[in-house]
Amino acid sequence: MNTFPLKVLRDLAAFAVLCLVSHAVTAQTPTAQIVGAVNTFLSTLDDAQRKKVLFAFDDQQQRQRWSNLPISSVSRAGLSMGELSQPQRSAAFAVVSAALSRRGFEKVQQIMEADELLKKDAAKPIFGKDLYFISILGTPSEKTPWMLQFGGHHLALNITIAGDRGVLTPSLVGAQPALYKVNDKTIRPLGQESDRALALLNALDDAQRKQAILSYRVADLVLGPGQDGKTIQPEGLKASAMNESQRTMLIDLIAEWAGIVHDSAAGPRMAEIKSGLNDTWFAWSGATTADPGRNITAYYRIQGPNLVIEYAPQPLGGDPSLHLHTMYRDPTNDYGRTVTGK
Amino acid sequence: MSIVRTLLCTLVLVTAAPAGAHRLDEYLQATTIALEKTRVEADIRLVPGVDVFPLVFAEIDRDADGVVSSAEQRAYAQRVCDDLSLKVDGIPMTLRLVSSAISPKVLLQDGRGEIRVQVEADVPGSAARRRLDFENRHQTRIGAYLVNVLVPADPEMQVTAQHRNYDQSSFQLDYTDASALSFASWVEAWSWIDIALAVLTLGLIVSAWRVTAKARRSHHERLGAPSVGDHP
Repeated sequence: MNTFPLKVLRDLAAFAVLCLVSHAVTAQTPTAQIVGAVNTFLSTLDDAQRKKVLFAFDDQQQRQRWSNLPISSVSRAGLSMGELSQPQRSAAFAVVSAALSRRGFEKVQQIMEADELLKKDAAKPIFGKDLYFISILGTPSEKTPWMLQFGGHHLALNITIAGDRGVLTPSLVGAQPALYKVNDKTIRPLGQESDRALALLNALDDAQRKQAILSYRVADLVLGPGQDGKTIQPEGLKASAMNESQRTMLIDLIAEWAGIVHDSAAGPRMAEIKSGLNDTWFAWSGATTADPGRNITAYYRIQGPNLVIEYAPQPLGGDPSLHLHTMYRDPTNDYGRTVTGK
Repeated sequence: MSIVRTLLCTLVLVTAAPAGAHRLDEYLQATTIALEKTRVEADIRLVPGVDVFPLVFAEIDRDADGVVSSAEQRAYAQRVCDDLSLKVDGIPMTLRLVSSAISPKVLLQDGRGEIRVQVEADVPGSAARRRLDFENRHQTRIGAYLVNVLVPADPEMQVTAQHRNYDQSSFQLDYTDASALSFASWVEAWSWIDIALAVLTLGLIVSAWRVTAKARRSHHERLGAPSVGDHP
C-alpha cells in the first residue's frame, strides 16, 4: 500500500532532477558550453599533453602560426588529432562543435575529409585528418578573454572568446579537392560560397557588372596569412549602388563566413556587417560562368569597414575550381583586439 | 560524428586531385604599396612555383653551391629592386632596397617558400594631386603579379583612382594630399584659364578700390575741407 506512492515519488524526483539538469544544460550560454567542452577535453589529457595545448593569451607567435599550407611548410603548435586517443579526439571535436554553428562544423569536417583524400594520393605524409591541430590561448573562461585555434592544411580558425562575444577573424577556409562524391552525393565544402557569389553577379545589371568586374587578373589572395591588420584600397561595386534584393544576396553570401561561428556570436557580427553595408564593395575577376554543380574559377572580394572576404581559386596547372583558398578578416578586429584590448 | 563515419566509408573522388598541389608554373609576385606624404614603400612577396623553381633558384644561387649566402640573397633582392620602376607625377624615383628575406631552399623547391623584398623611395615636394606609376618587370615570362595599395594611414591622403594592366605588372594610382593645398599647389592645380580669371578679378578689385579712393578724395575737396590756415 505504501510502496506504490513511494515508487511514484521516487520516479517523479528522478524525472525532476533530469529536467533540472537538462534545463541547466540548455540554459547555459554558448560561452559556458564552450568552456565546459574545453574543460572536459583538458581533463582527458595528461600533463605533457596539457602543456602542449595551452599557450599564453598574448602569445603573438602562436596567434599568427596558421596558414593555408600543410604543416610540412608551416609548422603548427598545439595538439594534433593524430596524437590523441579516440576519446580525446572526440572531446576535441566537441570543443570545435560547441564553438561553431552546425553548418560551420559540417564545413570543417568536409574540408578535413578532402585533405584525407589528398593524403591517399600524396607521396609524403603531409596531409590528412590527423594533421589538424587544436590549441588554447589563455584560460578558458566565461568572463575573461581567451582564444581557441583549430586548423591545418586549408583551415585556420582563430576564435577569440570574450564573455558572450565570439570573434572568428582572421580565419582561412579552403578546400582541395573542393568537389568530391560520397555515396553518389556531391560534396562541395565551399559550394555555397561559389554559387551565391555567381548568383549575385548574375543579378547585377550591365552598369553594375561593369563596376563589379575588374579588368585585371587576380592570381591569389591579397590578404592571406601574414597580412594581419592591413586594409587595401577597395574596388568594385559599392553595396549602396545595389537594390534591396541584391543587398540581401550579398548579406547571404557574407553569412557563409560570418556564420561559421556559433549562432549567438554570428548574430551581432552580422548586425555589425549590415550596419556598414553601404560602404561594402563587391569585386570580381575572372570567368563569369560556371558549369552547373561546379565551383566558379573566378576570384572575388567583399570589403567593408569591418570586413574582408576573399575567394581565390588556385591556378596550379590543374582545375582551379577544385582548389580553393578563402580568407575572412576584420582588419579592425583581428584576434578580437577591440574586445580584448590585446 | 556520423557524417565523418559515412565519409570515411564511402569516399569516391570525382577527379583525381594533384597531390600536394601548389603553385606550379608561375612566379607569384605580390606587391603592397604604402603611401606617405614624403615616402613610398613597397613590400614584394615572391613565391616561385615548383616547375619554375630551378630557373628562379639559379638566379639567386649564382655560384650554384646549393646554398643561398647573405651576399647572394642581397644581390638577388637588389636585382628585383632594379626590375621595379616608380614614378611620381611622371618623374622617376630612386628605389632603395630596405630589407630582404628568403625561405629555406627545401620549402622554395616545393612551392611553399617565399622571398620578401622591401623597397622605398623618397617623394620630393608636395602637391594636392599626385600620380604614381609602378611597374614590375621581374621575370616577366613566368611572373604572376599582384599589386595593391594600402589605405593611407594619414587621413589627409586619399586614393582617388587605380588602374592596372591585365596581368597587374603595371599600376597607376592617383591620390590627393589635403595638407598640400598651399598657394603653389593651388597654382599648380589650376588651369591657365583659372589663373587668368584670378588675375583679372584681382585687377578689377584694385581698380575698383582706386576709383573709390579717388572719388572719396574729390568728395572731400568739394566739401572744402578746412585747411590749416582757415582755423580761427
